[in-house]
Formats: sequence, C-alpha cells, structure tokens
Amino acid sequence: MIRFCLSNLKPRKFIFMRKYWWKILGVILIIYSFTLGLLVPLKPGISSIDPGSMRTASSYQMEIVGYNTFYTRAQDAVRVWLKYDSIHALAASKTRVVNDRSLVADFDIPKYLPTNDRVGVVSVIVDDDYNGFSVVPSTVFITQDSVDKDIVAGSSAWKQGRIGNIHSKDQFNFPFRVQLSETIRNLYFHVPFWFSMFIIFIAGITQSIGYLSTNKLEYDYKSMSFTLVGTVFGIIGLCTGMIWAKDTWGTYWSWQEVKMNMTAIALLIYLSYFILRHSFDDDERRARISAVFSIFAFAAMIALLYVVPRMVSSLHPGSGGNPALGADDLDNSMRLVFYPAIIGWTLLGVWMASLIYRMQVLRDKLYDY
Amino acid sequence: MNLVREISILLQKEIKIEWRQKHAIGGILLYVVSTIFVVYSAIKSVTPNVWNALFWIVILFASVNALVKSFVQENSSRQLYYYTLSNPTAIILAKIIYNSGLLLLLSFLSFAAFTLFAGNPVKDTGQFYLAIFLGSLGFSITFTFIAAISAKANNSATLMAILSFPLVIPIILTLLKLSANALRLLQDTSVWKDILTLLAIDLLMIAMAFILFPFLWRD
Repeated sequence: MIRFCLSNLKPRKFIFMRKYWWKILGVILIIYSFTLGLLVPLKPGISSIDPGSMRTASSYQMEIVGYNTFYTRAQDAVRVWLKYDSIHALAASKTRVVNDRSLVADFDIPKYLPTNDRVGVVSVIVDDDYNGFSVVPSTVFITQDSVDKDIVAGSSAWKQGRIGNIHSKDQFNFPFRVQLSETIRNLYFHVPFWFSMFIIFIAGITQSIGYLSTNKLEYDYKSMSFTLVGTVFGIIGLCTGMIWAKDTWGTYWSWQEVKMNMTAIALLIYLSYFILRHSFDDDERRARISAVFSIFAFAAMIALLYVVPRMVSSLHPGSGGNPALGADDLDNSMRLVFYPAIIGWTLLGVWMASLIYRMQVLRDKLYDY
Repeated sequence: MNLVREISILLQKEIKIEWRQKHAIGGILLYVVSTIFVVYSAIKSVTPNVWNALFWIVILFASVNALVKSFVQENSSRQLYYYTLSNPTAIILAKIIYNSGLLLLLSFLSFAAFTLFAGNPVKDTGQFYLAIFLGSLGFSITFTFIAAISAKANNSATLMAILSFPLVIPIILTLLKLSANALRLLQDTSVWKDILTLLAIDLLMIAMAFILFPFLWRD
C-alpha cells in the first residue's frame, strides 16, 4: 500500500496536475467560499432599540437587544450614547446588563435639543471592551416641547457626553446589517453566479464568432455548451436572488424591481435560443443561424441588463439602480470570500461546459444527432 | 454611391410587391382596427394610462404580424437570385427602411383609429410623434432581423414571436415612458435621456444586423 502511494508520488504522475490544475483550483475555491462564507460569524451588532421616540425633559429606560454580543463578558461597564451630531452627544446615566443579548440604559433627556427644529433624530452608540463598538445610525426621534431660540442651553446640555475611548475589535467578521442579518452570506452565492454567468456567456459569444469565421462545427458545440451552463447559472442566480428577496423585501417576485424583470427577460432570450436550435435539421444551418442569433441576443442583453436598469430606481444596492457594488455594500472581509467565489464558480462552469461539449461530440460520433 | 442606388432599386421592388399584394397590407390594417374594436368593447372606459399601454401593445402585435412575412413572401430561389445580384448589406438595409416606413404608416393609422374609437389623450403631440417614429425604427430593425432568422427555420411564425418579444422589451419600456410623458401621465425632466437611450439601442441593433446579416442569407 505504502509502496503504491509512493509510486504515485513519482514526478511523471503529476503531469495530470499540469493539465487539470484549474479544475482542482475551482473546487478548492468553491469549498473555501462555502466554508468561510457560512462559518465566519457576523460582527456584534444591535438588532433592536426600544423606545424609538422620546420627549425632552423626561427620563427613559432604553432596552437594547444585541446580536452576536456577549455583554456579560465585558470587564468594564458598557457605555451607551445618543449621538446628535459630531459635537453633540448624551451619555447614559446608568447602564445595566440584563444578559448577553440585552442591555438597559437610563437616559435623562435635557430640556432642549441643540437645534431649532421641533424634532431631532439621534444615533445610538454602544461600546464595551469585549464586543467593541456598534452604531445604529439615525434611529431614535426626540421631540422638544418648546424651542430654545439661541440654542445655548440645549447645546451645552448635549455637550456633556463626550464620546471617547472607543474599543474597536480587529477580528475576522462579516459586517452586521439589521435588514440583512445572516442573509448577508447570500452575497457569496447570488452575486458570483451573475458574474460567472456573464463571463461564461462572453466565452460562448467568442465561440460563436469563432464558428462564423471558420465554419467548424466544434465551435458551435462549444458555444452551445457555454450558453447552456450560463443559462443554468442565470437560473440559479435568479433563484438565490428570489430567496433573498423573500427575506429582505418580503416577496419572491417584485414587479417594481427592474433588474429582476430584465434578468427574467434575458433568460427568456437564452431559452428561445435553445428552441431555435431545435427547429433545424441541418447541422451547418443550425450552427450558423444560432451563432448569428446568440451574438445578436448578447448585444440586446447588454441593453437589457446594463442600460435599462440604470434609467430607473431599483431595490438592489447601488445608487439609482446602478448595477455595481459600492464601498458600503462590500467590506474587506467580504471581498476575501467574494472574489474567490467568482473565480471558483467560473472555473466550475467551464468544467461543466467542457463535459457537455465532450458529450455532444460523442453523441455526434455515435448517433449522428 | 453604388450602395445607395442598390438600396433605392430594392426599395422600389419592395413597394411594387406590396402594391401587387394589396390584400397583405389590407389584412394588417383590418387586424389593427378589429383588435382596437375588440379591446374597447371589452374595457369600455379607458383612462389615459390604459390608452398608452394598449396603444403600444396593439402596435407591437401588428408589427410582428406585418413583418413576419418579410423574408418568406418571395420564394427561396428568387431570393437567391437577389443575393447573387446585390450586396447583402443593401438587402437588409432596404428591408429595414421599407419596414420602418410600413410601421410608421401603420402606427399613424392606428393612432387615427384610436382617436376615433377612444379619444385622444395626447397632450404633447410632437413628442408622441417622435415616440412613434423611434418606435417604428426600433421595431423594424429588430423584427426584420429576427424575421430573417426565423425564415430559415421550420415553424417561422411561432419562432418569430418567441425570439423577438424578449428582444424588443428594452425598446418598448423606453417607448412607454416616453409616450407616458407625452400624455402627461408623468413629469419627466430628462426626456432627451430616454430619446438618447432609444437611439443608442436602435444604433446597436442596426450595427449588429449589418455585421451579422451577411452570414445569415447564404445557404
């Protein structure tokens, strides 16, 4: 047994590595993205705050519910602030840890707000030495009964609570967003499918162009295989997106959501490509006409997916329906999983396409269809 | 100059064939009128919003029906004869120009029929005419090219619909927005942006048709 293993380790046996390294790399990257994407915990955050509105000149007990937090493990007292703007903040007079997930902070709201408006909105900041700090931006509304004209009283009262000595934790965590919470991990599946679908479609188009310039049937088979895998990836991307949409938008399918509908249409185009392929008897003719259609459809798909969505607003991240990921949506810890996932799925897609291609060649040889 | 001459001769040929087969265009016009009649007897009261949607749906279906015959009305041996005589680019361009003229005529006639049966809610007529013009151009480019593809296949009429409808959706969505603005259903400050988008899509489609048609015709 040992001798057998050793004989396998002879250098010439590793020739297959030179040929198939990309398949191994793809599988490793996908396993990596699954493990890290599903196992790395989210950053400690705050999932709810009660009450959401307050009045001036009264005291409140604010209940804070944390997510992935361990408040009992904090050495020093947990500190809580209401932050009005960069210079005005109010510290909690007393904080009490109920359990790991919940916290009560007492606030004495001063008589005036540091503003002339009737209603001010403040952010909540929680900080301790074990969990680090977390911020819930613009979450509590404070109404003042009368307005202080020259803002002096309000400003001085709100300057008492200096925010300082913040603990930041440098752990490998994914960011916590209240609306997404654990579903943020879907980013490593939903979005890479779109990216690799697009790369694979481009590969299919190059094969179509190759067919039109050489008239060799193998290019047509390759183009068909890539398009098939791309369509499957598109369907998976749509399904993962629908599951995500159910969780965050509350519905599987939204007719308001332009990108979703445009994608469905793009998939219709590619499904009709396969129907077109099946309506020819002659190989040469099928190859030529489906190559022409796939190039034409690809141009139309660019208009569908990258021009129209920019014209209307969208529920997707990115401003004004811009189909791109901004710095707010993707932090460095997520990039570390996201980009390998794209490469991994693309390599797996190419592998799948090569299998379909070989099957088609065999079919052609054996059954002549 | 040679190309322009070829195109003008081919256009004359198209018009002559259409004139000899008057029943074809008559059939399409009857189709439009009866569709409008059926739709309005079903819906009865029509708000401008519904008017806008119905107008473009009727135009869409009428266009598909009018253009599906583009490459099948003449038999294949005669088409082969044309291809030996002239440049394929000239053939597709002549077809596109002729078909956009046909669709323009069709759209204006449907507009007249709509006005007759359901009233005219259009507030900005110039903008609506522009939408009709750009729409006929976009429909004619896409449908002509898809008609050329589906003419090569077996069940061309079904194939025409399933291949072309997803492809014209960007055009029809932009058109709906543009004409909704002409009907004052929404106040759009960036109309020129929609017009530019339509022109860009039309340009992209016509460029693809140009490049790809030479591969399509030879058998």
